[in-house]
Amino acid sequence: MALGHDNVLYVDRLTVGVGGKIVLRDVSFSVGRNSILFLLGPNGAGKTSLLRALIGYPNYNVISGKILFDGEDITSSPMEHRVSRGLAVAHQIPPKLTGIKARNLLAEICRRTGCSVDEIADELEINYLLNREFGKGFSGGELKRIEIATIVAQRPKLAFIDEPDSGVDIDSVAIIARALRKLINVSTYGSIAIITHSASISKYIRPTHVCVMISGSVKFCGDSSILDEVFSHGFKGMAE
Amino acid sequence: MDLRGWRSKIAEEAIQGLDRPSPYGVDIDVSSYATEEARYRIDVDSIEKIGVDLKSKARYLQVNQAYFEYLSKIPGVEVYKLEDYIENYPDEAMEYVWRLLRPSMDKYVAIGALRGMGGYFIKVKKNTKVEDPIMACMFLSSYGLQAPHNVIIVEDGAEATVYTGCTIAPETVGLHVGLSEFYVGRNAKLRFVMVHSWNRATHVRPRTAVNVSENGEYISYYANLSNVKTFQAYPRVYLGSGAHAYLASIVLGVDDADIDIGTAAVLENGNGGVEIVSRNVARDSSRIVMRASIVGRSGRGHIDCRGLMLSNESVMATIPELHAKSPNAILTHEASIGRLAEDEIYYLMSKGFTRDEAVGILVRGFIAIDVKGIPDRVRSYIETIERLTAEKAM
Repeated sequence: MALGHDNVLYVDRLTVGVGGKIVLRDVSFSVGRNSILFLLGPNGAGKTSLLRALIGYPNYNVISGKILFDGEDITSSPMEHRVSRGLAVAHQIPPKLTGIKARNLLAEICRRTGCSVDEIADELEINYLLNREFGKGFSGGELKRIEIATIVAQRPKLAFIDEPDSGVDIDSVAIIARALRKLINVSTYGSIAIITHSASISKYIRPTHVCVMISGSVKFCGDSSILDEVFSHGFKGMAE
Repeated sequence: MDLRGWRSKIAEEAIQGLDRPSPYGVDIDVSSYATEEARYRIDVDSIEKIGVDLKSKARYLQVNQAYFEYLSKIPGVEVYKLEDYIENYPDEAMEYVWRLLRPSMDKYVAIGALRGMGGYFIKVKKNTKVEDPIMACMFLSSYGLQAPHNVIIVEDGAEATVYTGCTIAPETVGLHVGLSEFYVGRNAKLRFVMVHSWNRATHVRPRTAVNVSENGEYISYYANLSNVKTFQAYPRVYLGSGAHAYLASIVLGVDDADIDIGTAAVLENGNGGVEIVSRNVARDSSRIVMRASIVGRSGRGHIDCRGLMLSNESVMATIPELHAKSPNAILTHEASIGRLAEDEIYYLMSKGFTRDEAVGILVRGFIAIDVKGIPDRVRSYIETIERLTAEKAM
């Protein structure tokens, strides 16, 4: 897999350890321009670890390999730099933030990017959550929508969305899919990466590329037909 | 008893307390603060920084024990310097002054009784509802003792907010002993906001007692948002039948501050209620002891004490006490001490904040208390206090 001009993100043989344990081994994949990448894999495949390593969690140590984003080697860059360059992640389960109102956190992000909290809230139908403490007592769907709202507020060049469709009611999936489409539209490169194990979001957004991750490694990548194969054979069948 | 006899009695009692240390906190030699400099300076910037509006319609300003300015343009609200009130209304004064505090309680109250000067007397007359906050400021501009004696009376059915700011000039060495006796009448409501901003050489020993009559309500919000050398206070609120109180405090310990702060409430007979909420942040090598006590004969009481440690050198303890005097009292408490969760810091960093910004946001969230039943204007003061405290905590 070579770094071409069409690649927004290029991950080359990345091996990552956390607390002395290898969580990602020789991971390689890329996200091109105008690409909707689905990163599929069963629970425990290392999808969330990959996302944290990409955004630069300090306790995720890159042992070998490279991460190139937007033409720059960010393998050793601090998280702050990666985010400022336009990389963003939507977490599978955001933490509950005591005493911090959802509105205030979104406003802090919007202060940097010039977005409108109310517009984002309308879009994700979270107006009624704005004056509540961030994440506290939220349902699964509400948590996803508020998390996606923070990403929409960030206006990233490329967003990685972790499990937007797990533990979420059908109505929320539709709202989230609409917001993800907007993220694709505002992305400088018209791209997004969606991490999912159920792929139920594919009912609303069809991938252009699919990679399958199993046991901390990306096993193979291809076009959207892989999605149908996963639905037919499951991850176990694919691995075999 | 005439005024002279009353004053002599107070002084005699106080002398008995001069050698009595407080059961809590660091013991201070009060004799070295028994004199104060006559000169004073008013630092308007420092006063405004703690939210006091010196142009408010009802206000009291005291600098050291030398300068006093007070007025009220609000109908139904009286503001005096306490000595002036006592001189003009001695019979009424003897009903309220030194009724909730004992002059011999400890050496700090005693020195305040013997050497203190000034303090505000605020009365909100029956059924008067005041929207604008009544402002008070105690400013210590030079070495010595400042021991004002404050009295607030909110008569039956009345409603008011009193905002008090106490601050000091930089590098001034001083002992501040604020003596406060508050009376909330039947069906009356007092919201009391107090902001302290001292320096690293100040010793502070406020002594406060509040009596809330039948169906009255007392909401108190205290914040210490700067350095202090030593601080000890354990205000006590007595709640009559059906009376309610919400007592919140935000305390920040920086440098080598030694802080021992608590709140006590006594629920008398009747269906009253009290909630004591404290948020304490320890930085550097500060030491904070958080106390809370509820004594209940009936009604409901809850203590919620939380401590946040921002340094490996700081020390913190929480000591909640519940005393039920009958099975009709339902009393609960929750307490916790810990550090900020790294996962929360990383989460915010992944949203584009620097580590310092992320910590600032989380600290501000930690100290944010949702005080119910307060006017928007007071809420905006509290939001400012939260912001300033979070900034100082960093």
